Amino acid sequence: MLELKSIVKRYDGLTAVDSLSLVIEPGCIYGLLGPNGAGKTTTIRMIMGIIEPDEGEIRIFGEAFSESVKERIGYLPEERGLYRRMKVLDLLVFLGEIKGIPARTASERAGRWLERVDLAGWADKTVESLSKGMQQKIQFISTVLHDPQLVILDEPFAGLDPINTQLIKDIIIEMKEKGRAVVLSTHLMDQVEKLGERICLINKGRKVLEGAIADVKMQFSKNVVTMRFSGDRAVFEGHPGIEQVRDFGRELSLTLGPDMKPNDVLRFAIDRGKVEKFEIGEMSLHDIFIAKVKEDGGEVDNEVS
Amino acid sequence: MRLTMKFLKVARREYLERVKKKSFLVGTVLGPVLMGAMIIVPGMLFELTPESQVTMAVVDIESAIYNEFTESLQDTLDDGSSMFVFRHVRASEGEIDQVKRSLNAEIEADAIDGYLIIPGDIVSKGEAAYFGKRLGAVKTLERVERALDQAVIGKRLAGEGMDYSKVKNMIRGVKLKTMRVSKGEERKSDFEMIFITTFVFIMMLYMTILLWGVAVQRSIIEEKNNRVVEVLLSSLTSFDLMIGKILGVGAVGLTQYAIWSIFALLASFYALSTGTFAGAVSFTWVTLAYFALFYVLGFLFYASLFAGIGSVCNSDQEAQQLQTPVVMCLVFTILVPMAVIQNPDGTFATVVSLIPFFTPIVMFMRINVLMPPAWQIVLSVAILIMSIYVAGKLAAKIFHIGVLMYGKRPSVREIFKWLKRA
Repeated sequence: MLELKSIVKRYDGLTAVDSLSLVIEPGCIYGLLGPNGAGKTTTIRMIMGIIEPDEGEIRIFGEAFSESVKERIGYLPEERGLYRRMKVLDLLVFLGEIKGIPARTASERAGRWLERVDLAGWADKTVESLSKGMQQKIQFISTVLHDPQLVILDEPFAGLDPINTQLIKDIIIEMKEKGRAVVLSTHLMDQVEKLGERICLINKGRKVLEGAIADVKMQFSKNVVTMRFSGDRAVFEGHPGIEQVRDFGRELSLTLGPDMKPNDVLRFAIDRGKVEKFEIGEMSLHDIFIAKVKEDGGEVDNEVS
Repeated sequence: MRLTMKFLKVARREYLERVKKKSFLVGTVLGPVLMGAMIIVPGMLFELTPESQVTMAVVDIESAIYNEFTESLQDTLDDGSSMFVFRHVRASEGEIDQVKRSLNAEIEADAIDGYLIIPGDIVSKGEAAYFGKRLGAVKTLERVERALDQAVIGKRLAGEGMDYSKVKNMIRGVKLKTMRVSKGEERKSDFEMIFITTFVFIMMLYMTILLWGVAVQRSIIEEKNNRVVEVLLSSLTSFDLMIGKILGVGAVGLTQYAIWSIFALLASFYALSTGTFAGAVSFTWVTLAYFALFYVLGFLFYASLFAGIGSVCNSDQEAQQLQTPVVMCLVFTILVPMAVIQNPDGTFATVVSLIPFFTPIVMFMRINVLMPPAWQIVLSVAILIMSIYVAGKLAAKIFHIGVLMYGKRPSVREIFKWLKRA
């Protein structure tokens, strides 16, 4: 559905995006992750044809970029912006029209969407009379009003309360189920962790790693389990499959050897005492990102680390 | 630089949002009112300045012309009282200094407004002096001077044995009527009328081109600031956006003109039917057609420049610096009307009217005053259209890059770099 082939974008000697390649399939929620300034927005602007890459190729729906392609993509920019003095419905119809759908269709759909996000009564109000969160939802509607096959959301949850965040998440999942591809660009990696399927981590314009979230996690999850255990803690020390035991007092942390699975440890523990809490230590995407960048000899901006 | 049909949507939105605004209604209604006020009020104020009674001491040494002088100043004020109150002060040449001192004191005490000293040799020398606190009442002093004139000339003529009124009748001058020959037909020419209508028209051109040109610039800055621009560019091209904006705003200007024209037409029909202002409306359909043409072309040219400026600025204040040279070009055109009207087919007028920055206003002015050769009109319009194309292209290049740049305004050198690159 979307394919980037080693695209490069330079600004006055600074390389904002450095030979980035990725493939996004339909029916997938794809996380484009990285700290602020990593090159996410620049990448998205190139996908949208707002700016052109200096090198490389972008293919969308199997074809090279053309103006008509824009009509099949929905884009929620990180920098939100609406015409403040326009009425909500007029604005949505206008934004729908420039995405190529007829005014009437745009108006009908906008009505339905406004109901869906609980803003049905606001159609005739001006945008500036809405709260920030409401404006966010209006902007989100404008992104999906023309039923795009590819939706690119740049920091979609910024400024939303938990209820509205959930609402937008639900809609994103629905879109995915309808076979749309959704690209989530965010520096808050934990948001994508539960929602997404595939991710691409970028830092300073370069791809750090890409893949299915499950695989990435598997690859990076160290075999660590945390346990609250009443019994003789010394039993773990002598176990050949356990490489390290750290006693934190209330809890224990065990580093497992390559042949030891968490299940085996749990079975071993149950036989020897009472297990009150058992947790498989999984690294968060955030930790993986930092670990990976460091492993590659790179640096991470303070904000992330 | 691609253009898709979506610029029409942008233009329509721009147009509707502006026309629906209250400020448009107010501007459309108040525009002509203000314009009329600007022309009429200063004159009216001058005419209406109430004249008040003037108390004047007249020191007529040797009583040379006192009686003749005061007799010809019998003007009355609106309330019927006489405008001048005279006090005859007799004094000999030797007492003059002393009399002046006491009269100066009276002026200081507001007992009199001023005094006139008529020397004994006024008839031969033709000189007198007025002393007063306020010398700004030009019209009053003009009357005094005229009355002195009349009295002195009368005396001189009487000295030669002639009667003033007879002589006045004999030396009455010839009145030269001027007729303008245009397209082989004689027309009653009223230079003042031509001047005034031309001036009103070019002021309107100037103000609307500036107003709507800057409106394009503002609207671009506003969209940059509220970041709508990124949403728009994900749907259409930067060229669509720029062209749509220029056309939408330009159409608002045209709508305003259409409304004004309808009013002007109604007013002139009314004037013609009642006969009150017959002849006051001194323009033709040809004038209006040229007006529309030069508004459209002038606006397109200047709006392109303003669009380019707006796209690289983040605030109106920032834009002010960059727009100064452009605004100066417009201002220049309204500084030259006298030169052009006096010599509408001279080298200066011809050259200036062919420079695209000045064509819209100066060429229109020339057409109004003295129809220039057709080739000059065609040439000026051709140059202007070409310039619009070039300005539009350059502006679009700057716009394409500038409109997504936030933060620091690029330097002029950087902008040139963009032009080369794009």
